[in-house]
Amino acid sequence: MNFDILQYDFMQRAFLVGILLAVIIPCIGVIVVFKRLSLIGDALSHTSLAGVAIGLILGINPIVGAMAACLLAAFGIEAIRKRIPRYSELSIAIVLSVGVGLAGILSGFVKNAATFNSFLFGSIVAISDFETALVVGIAILVFLSFILLYKELFYIAFDEQAAALSGVPVRLVNTIFTILTAITVSVASRTVGALIVSSLMVVPVATAMIMARSYKQTVIWSVICAVTATITGLFISYYAELKPGGTIVLTAVALFLLALLLKWLRQVILSAGMKGASNESA
Amino acid sequence: MPAECAIEVKNLSFGYSDVLLMDGVSFCVSKGDFAAVIGSNGTGKSTMIKLLLGLLTPSNGEIFLMGEPLSAFNRFPKIGYVPQNSGSTAGSFPATAEEIVLSSLYSRIGFLKIPGKKHKKMVLDALDSVGMKSHARSLISELSGGQQQRVMLARVLVNDPEILLLDEPTVGIDVGAVTLLMEILHKLNIEHKVTILMVTHDLSHVAQYLNRVLCLSDRNFAEDTIPESLIIHAHAASHEPPHEHVHCAACEQPHDPEHCAVCAQTRDPAQCSVPCTEPCAACSHTHESEDDS
Repeated sequence: MNFDILQYDFMQRAFLVGILLAVIIPCIGVIVVFKRLSLIGDALSHTSLAGVAIGLILGINPIVGAMAACLLAAFGIEAIRKRIPRYSELSIAIVLSVGVGLAGILSGFVKNAATFNSFLFGSIVAISDFETALVVGIAILVFLSFILLYKELFYIAFDEQAAALSGVPVRLVNTIFTILTAITVSVASRTVGALIVSSLMVVPVATAMIMARSYKQTVIWSVICAVTATITGLFISYYAELKPGGTIVLTAVALFLLALLLKWLRQVILSAGMKGASNESA
Repeated sequence: MPAECAIEVKNLSFGYSDVLLMDGVSFCVSKGDFAAVIGSNGTGKSTMIKLLLGLLTPSNGEIFLMGEPLSAFNRFPKIGYVPQNSGSTAGSFPATAEEIVLSSLYSRIGFLKIPGKKHKKMVLDALDSVGMKSHARSLISELSGGQQQRVMLARVLVNDPEILLLDEPTVGIDVGAVTLLMEILHKLNIEHKVTILMVTHDLSHVAQYLNRVLCLSDRNFAEDTIPESLIIHAHAASHEPPHEHVHCAACEQPHDPEHCAVCAQTRDPAQCSVPCTEPCAACSHTHESEDDS
């Protein structure tokens, strides 16, 4: 196979950034899914678009704008969630509505529509040195935080009340996690796209849950699935001349369907084996 | 000498919004008691447990855990709490029994620290104590309701609790699993002197293990199944003097003067043909009269 794809500087950078994001996005995604807040990625990424628009209007780096908007949105979700704990998913819907509404209005004031649109579906092959350095820094920060807070995040996701009674600093850990989620989503919006980042947060976790036999395995399989989808998606998009963001997510969905198929086949084989054994004993 | 209170509630009042749920409730659950909280739906049984844990704040009154006021109490890992439907709620989480029990060791492991071999051994020991060691690596979702409930129990036992607060632990599990669970709790109560307070509607299956019943509101509900002498009425009648019990020296369970919960023999100290200081013919325990108040 000809790997001329890796000769290009922009593709090397795309692989580096893509793989780093594929490691940290599912780490965030695992906790988000188990806290039953799967759509938080959608709410944050859509709100990040409002931040991008503000950044472009004011002439500041749109990623910085996206990050600020994401942080505000993430804390907004937490604040609303605490006030209506029985309908916590409503907090996401409310913030999502604010984000989409603001992004829609503000996009009308952005002079360079092409730049704004690049945030919708991402442009992983056109990121700058600054953005690459930002992704590397954030990836290290998020990954180390996830490892250090592994047992605290697990406990809170499993049973927040018991975690608090055991002495876990729930508010501090939740605040750190909210910040990590917000910065991950904002930086990923630039690369894989605001409309796609939430899929990358959830789909690899769903795939991992089919295969894993423990929480730890779910985390590991989520990362493996996301990295596999990113590398495969980048190859396919390069050679088939497709948009990379969408290709990566569709590859992740294909892996999910493959995992479902393999699980079904396994069940069929196992039940056939059991039938055979019972026939023999009869 | 009166037994020391593991849980003491004095003149407790609490309500949701403008509706007063409990008013002036007082009771003491002594160290080593195996007590049930009973009452109709809406009488505040689960609320009582949450008040004891500080998850809800009473409008009036005081709570003492192991002699310390709740506001100053900071040994919560020593209070094992198994919430209502905890097994089925946990069932949707993709974690193994081992991972779930390990998470409860947080107070011993510490913030930002990694669990060591000794913690993993403690987890296996806790699972072993509820007969679930062989399922340590099973996903909680793949276990039966009774097994899930036993894992939830192991989750609190791993911290060697002094008090267990269980909110309807027998709901949704079959009779065999209820018996198994109650035998484990009985063993903890007798051998490890763990004080147990359990919210339940299932008196028919658990009554034989109890030595106290805390009745919220509905007096008749308790009297149908439990000897009157075991009942503590926690509402309007909460200020009545407690009933006299016969205390078994062998098993350390306070027994009803007229009816021994262990051997089912009449043990009225006044009429008993067997002297109460001698072993009971049926259960071999020595019973001696003692005012349990």
